[in-house]
Amino acid sequence: MNKQYSVRALSRALTLSSHTFCSTTPSSSSSTFPLKNVTKSNFESSLEDLRRHVRASDFVAVDLEMTGITSAPWRESFEFDRFDVRYLKVKDSAEKFAVVQFGVCPFRWDSSKQSFVAHPHNFYIFPRQELPVNGPSYEFLCQTTSIDFLAKYQFDFNACIHEGVSYLSRGQEDEALRHLDLAYEDELSESWRNLKEIKDIPLVSMADILFTERMKNRFSEWRNGLLRERNEGAQFQGSSNDSKQQLQTIFFKMHPALTLNGFTSHQLRLIQLVTKKHFDDLVYVRVSGENSCLQQLIVYTDSTDEKDLLMKEVKDGLRREAEMKIKAAVGFRHVIDLLSSEEKLIVGHNCFLDIAHIYSKFLGPLPLTAEEFVSSVHKCFPYITDTKVLLNANSVLQHLMKKNSTSLSNAFALLCPQIASNFKNSGLAFKPCVKVEVQVDDMRSSNWNSGAKHEAGYDAFMTGCVFAQACNHLGINFKTHSPSRNLVSNEKLQKHVNHLYLSWTNGDIIDLTTGKKTAESLGSVNHKKRYPNILFSNIVLVWGFPSTLKAREIRELISKVFGPNSVTSIYHLDDTAVFVQFNNAELVSKFLVLKETLDRNNDPISVLHPLSKLLEGGNTRAASYEIYKEICSSPISKVLFADQAEAIGYKWKTKLIEPKEEGETQGNKCFSKENGQLNTVSDSADKSDTGERNDETDLSYCMP
Amino acid sequence: MPHGLPVACPNKDFRFKNFADGSRVDQLDPNGERHYPSPVGRINIQLVCIYICSSLVKELGGPRKMVLQRRLLCTKNHHKWSVKQVTKSNFSESLDDIKTHISNSDFVAVSLQKTGSFSAPWHRVLPFDTADTAYSKAKYAADRFQLLQFAVCPFSIRASKVLAHPYNFHLFPRDELKIGMPSYSFSCQTSYLTSMAQEGFDFNVCIYDGISYLSRSQESTAKDRIGNPIPTKHEMKSSSTLSVADAVFIERIKSRIRHWINACTDTSKRTNEALVSSLRKLVLGSEEYGSRPCMNIDICSERQVQLTLEMLGDISDDLVPLKIPAKGGGTQAVRVILTSSKEDKDLLERELQNLEEEQNKRVRGFREVIDLISASQKPVVSHNSLNDFTFIHSKFLAPLPPNMDDFMCSLRMVFPHVLDVNHLLKEIGPMKKVINLPAAISYLKRRFSVPIDMELPHQAKANEGKIHGHNVLRISHLFAKLCSILKINPSTPQSDSGYLASALEGYANIFNPCSTSPQEANDGDIRVWANNTRKVSCEDVVFLWGFRGGMSAGILKRMLQESHDVFSEEFDVRLVDKNCAIIVFWQPGLSDIFLEVMDSGEISGSLREMVAEGLRGAGYETYKRVCRLGLWEAELSDSLDKALADHCLLEAGSEKNPSVIYWNSDSIINLGDL
Repeated sequence: MNKQYSVRALSRALTLSSHTFCSTTPSSSSSTFPLKNVTKSNFESSLEDLRRHVRASDFVAVDLEMTGITSAPWRESFEFDRFDVRYLKVKDSAEKFAVVQFGVCPFRWDSSKQSFVAHPHNFYIFPRQELPVNGPSYEFLCQTTSIDFLAKYQFDFNACIHEGVSYLSRGQEDEALRHLDLAYEDELSESWRNLKEIKDIPLVSMADILFTERMKNRFSEWRNGLLRERNEGAQFQGSSNDSKQQLQTIFFKMHPALTLNGFTSHQLRLIQLVTKKHFDDLVYVRVSGENSCLQQLIVYTDSTDEKDLLMKEVKDGLRREAEMKIKAAVGFRHVIDLLSSEEKLIVGHNCFLDIAHIYSKFLGPLPLTAEEFVSSVHKCFPYITDTKVLLNANSVLQHLMKKNSTSLSNAFALLCPQIASNFKNSGLAFKPCVKVEVQVDDMRSSNWNSGAKHEAGYDAFMTGCVFAQACNHLGINFKTHSPSRNLVSNEKLQKHVNHLYLSWTNGDIIDLTTGKKTAESLGSVNHKKRYPNILFSNIVLVWGFPSTLKAREIRELISKVFGPNSVTSIYHLDDTAVFVQFNNAELVSKFLVLKETLDRNNDPISVLHPLSKLLEGGNTRAASYEIYKEICSSPISKVLFADQAEAIGYKWKTKLIEPKEEGETQGNKCFSKENGQLNTVSDSADKSDTGERNDETDLSYCMP
Repeated sequence: MPHGLPVACPNKDFRFKNFADGSRVDQLDPNGERHYPSPVGRINIQLVCIYICSSLVKELGGPRKMVLQRRLLCTKNHHKWSVKQVTKSNFSESLDDIKTHISNSDFVAVSLQKTGSFSAPWHRVLPFDTADTAYSKAKYAADRFQLLQFAVCPFSIRASKVLAHPYNFHLFPRDELKIGMPSYSFSCQTSYLTSMAQEGFDFNVCIYDGISYLSRSQESTAKDRIGNPIPTKHEMKSSSTLSVADAVFIERIKSRIRHWINACTDTSKRTNEALVSSLRKLVLGSEEYGSRPCMNIDICSERQVQLTLEMLGDISDDLVPLKIPAKGGGTQAVRVILTSSKEDKDLLERELQNLEEEQNKRVRGFREVIDLISASQKPVVSHNSLNDFTFIHSKFLAPLPPNMDDFMCSLRMVFPHVLDVNHLLKEIGPMKKVINLPAAISYLKRRFSVPIDMELPHQAKANEGKIHGHNVLRISHLFAKLCSILKINPSTPQSDSGYLASALEGYANIFNPCSTSPQEANDGDIRVWANNTRKVSCEDVVFLWGFRGGMSAGILKRMLQESHDVFSEEFDVRLVDKNCAIIVFWQPGLSDIFLEVMDSGEISGSLREMVAEGLRGAGYETYKRVCRLGLWEAELSDSLDKALADHCLLEAGSEKNPSVIYWNSDSIINLGDL
């Protein structure tokens, strides 16, 4: 893989030299070194470096690579997603898929050089189960196309699975520590219980009795030897080693002790029993040996006090060790804790899903509603900026983007041509640019470009570069006043901080400080309205109809019954389900009532009814938009929507709307108020971010 | 016994003597002649002696050094085995090889590398599962997880020799045709991936170069979606009368085709410049198919397809028709290709056939191997067949049917004889539950000495250093050993397809991991196979949950004993997972009384307290419903709660279907075990 990088980077470097740079001093240093890849083996040291870099940084760019985006086609991002449904879809994605690569790139303004210094880090992470936890096993979903996509960009799966850094979320760590506490308490109170229980074990077989007797003799021999040697003042010798090193005399915490090797667990239990029963001054302990495997010892102590002290010491030791293990298992989350505690500005590109992943993997289970989620996120990361929001919100930047797609690579090529190699002459070369120097370990370069697109570390670097240039265009001058500390409070940037796209598909922006959808929205220069206003109270969800029926036919069938203008639009969720948007909410309940009646009466008249074609096969179901939300919140994910609904186990065929459903009407009101700002966009380049929709769905959409 | 001396065998007919005590073994081939050692054979004789010595020594209670030595020798032997690794790049050539090997072998062993098996302790098949609940569990796993490797080993057993041709196919469900198949997504269990990584599994090879596939049912959907031309035969004239519309259609098409043929064959215009030929293309609708001229005829109905095909035969023998399928099924056009002569036509038809085969190979991918195995009708040997064959069915045949019976029917059409080594193992020893392969192998080694040589003839060019797919060899080896121990002659009289050696018939197609013969699997009436196993009706089993966490089965039992009269009779308690226990009432009818008492308000004493604390109970029916409805929560107690809640809404219309499960006090379902 590394070879590939260097070849790629080298070719980039060659093309670079033929272009004009806006940085006047093209660096002589070659820019072919790879970015910092972090796996299990170099995690500890890299974490220390990163700690330093983050502390000194002005902002930190992040990017994630996951094993998938959507767990079923009908869970993809649609224009027909209400605010709350959209969050449920993000939640489902973050809960099901794993993060396999995490890019972290701190940017620091170096005033002496008048340039940013970036430290791109590329962490391979893998949710390995490091601690023995009972309960469900660790499991994650892979979307085949996403895995294939990663493979296309030479993602190293072996590095990830063999060498990836593991992690525990805060919730998991707390849980593990709690278990430890319980176990510790148990151990302390165990002394009396052990005695009782041990008496319960009867010596059943002759072998057990003989073995116990032999051990008893061996131990008393050994102890007497110790006492004799001590009384005679003779030097203690390890002369009593025997039985093929099964018993070996050593010193344990200044006490003479016998190691027990090569015994079965049953034999060890018997030994434990013997010591408890027959020797007051001998104590059986378990400690971890050199190779972190458990070692059993019989230790000689002079008095009961000494014995108790020793036991406590041993137990504390074991506990400390367990705590160390848990701390080690926290792994990659240390990076997240670092980002959170330093309260630096986090920069991402279209990063709502990324933040949801960070939350579910490293903090705890995702809350049920967007509002709760957002307020918890805000407590943990007070400043987050989305470069995609930035690029679309500012008219200067929009002008620069020239209605191009705001995908990361596009933005990078347009805004940072001096870094991106494959730029076409965009006229930007005349504008002042912010210089970015890259440092990886001891190597530095001012025109570094590994070119490994869709590698988290490099994507994070690109995001940071785009952000720096965007700030520059917004009029934030890094050169005149050192921006450190007050970048987030800069009033030119401030209004964009903590605004993220909840859904890029329909342009919903969420404000992390309030949890509300922002009305501010976009400059909306390049946004065409592709769909009319969506009123969720006017929508009926229909599924399970004959697969040959297409949107146009369904529309015709319904129009025959309710009039030619009754249906505003029809939208295919997948082959088995459609959204039908009616002209008004009344038609929704009329349709549902009619369908229910037709289902019930199977007489010739209903067979002749125009809608009967839709009901053919007897599996057609219909319900209001609320049911879609309910289905989206289910943890099940079947590929086809009809199968999904069946798996959830709805027993009805038609879900009539109960009069005056509180939540629903409220939701609709809230939405219609904001319909004025609703923007739908088509941005093919970014569909890969938000889930691709195939052409068929577009075709099947019927406008009145 | 002196080391290295052959053992005398007074009885010619038996290769093994006194094997029940595992102490004496004679090595003779079936003819009763002494086996003269080949280089490998010598090792075997030594092994036999070591076995004997070690077992004798063991009997005397001495050290086990000999055993260690034996192990050393065996592992050496194993490492020589190398398995042909197959990826996308060498798939085509391997396919031809394996085809011959399958047809020349008596058996095919398979072994699968999956991305996971069960997500929670109770999701795996447990001793108290019936065939149907076991199947539901296996189905749940097969639907979600993915296969990354599929090892196939055609093998034959000749005397004490196994002739094996192992292949290990690397799979990845890549969407090669961009039609969203074979798999939208799949689950991975990190523990599985981690242990695969520890064994040196190369995930990059698998994901970059793994072979994709489509199941049979996916293939038929895919063909419509890809819309590749389908070669068709000239059809026989149908006797149906022609309507006016038909006649008009035929006349129109006929004249068009005649025109086109004339234009194509008119040699005088052959040397026209590009402009004219492109004009002609426009006017005649003529195109090129490879180097041959062709034209498309648009079609509105299947009737017209038939008419067109009939008519083409009338016009000329040099025309080859292709059906162009429409996107949503059916035909959208007929493409007619003009050939220059009879030979040319044959050539084209051969070309088309090759093309179709290529296409099929591309579409089916690895499934070609499954189809080859199926077509050979050879018995398939696996370990833990229920798990493996639910995967095979779901990935390569069709979505899994809802119940075990349908599954067995559907599978038997494809693989008539499935043999499970795990089941054969049960025949020789008191093995109550599915044990893993290494455990099975070491068990056999401990108990019996069966010298079986592995011979891998075609392994010279196999890549060394790869250690994947060895399980399939172990399965073949184990199977040969088991046949030998059970005195089954595994070779068929004529090794023709479709017949299984009668001795093996009784062992085929048993998918319930907890039963012992096909009859039992069917009627649910189970023989007790060990003294400490008692059969119990499902009706006498109660699931109990909602007690204090961390309680042991013993404490729970004690608490129950004091709580109510029904517990004065004999009963047993085991933990299924940490929050749910199973209670077995040995006295019939008590379970119903207990459940009634739980439901009624008339409980008193400590049971009342426990119920107040949240104790709940349900019969086996509820557990069955959990499995049938697929309520796979992480904790069984949550699933049972859900099933009960669901049940309250529904009518209590569950047909009572009393079946019997094992209650095996030896195979304790405790936490450490799960």
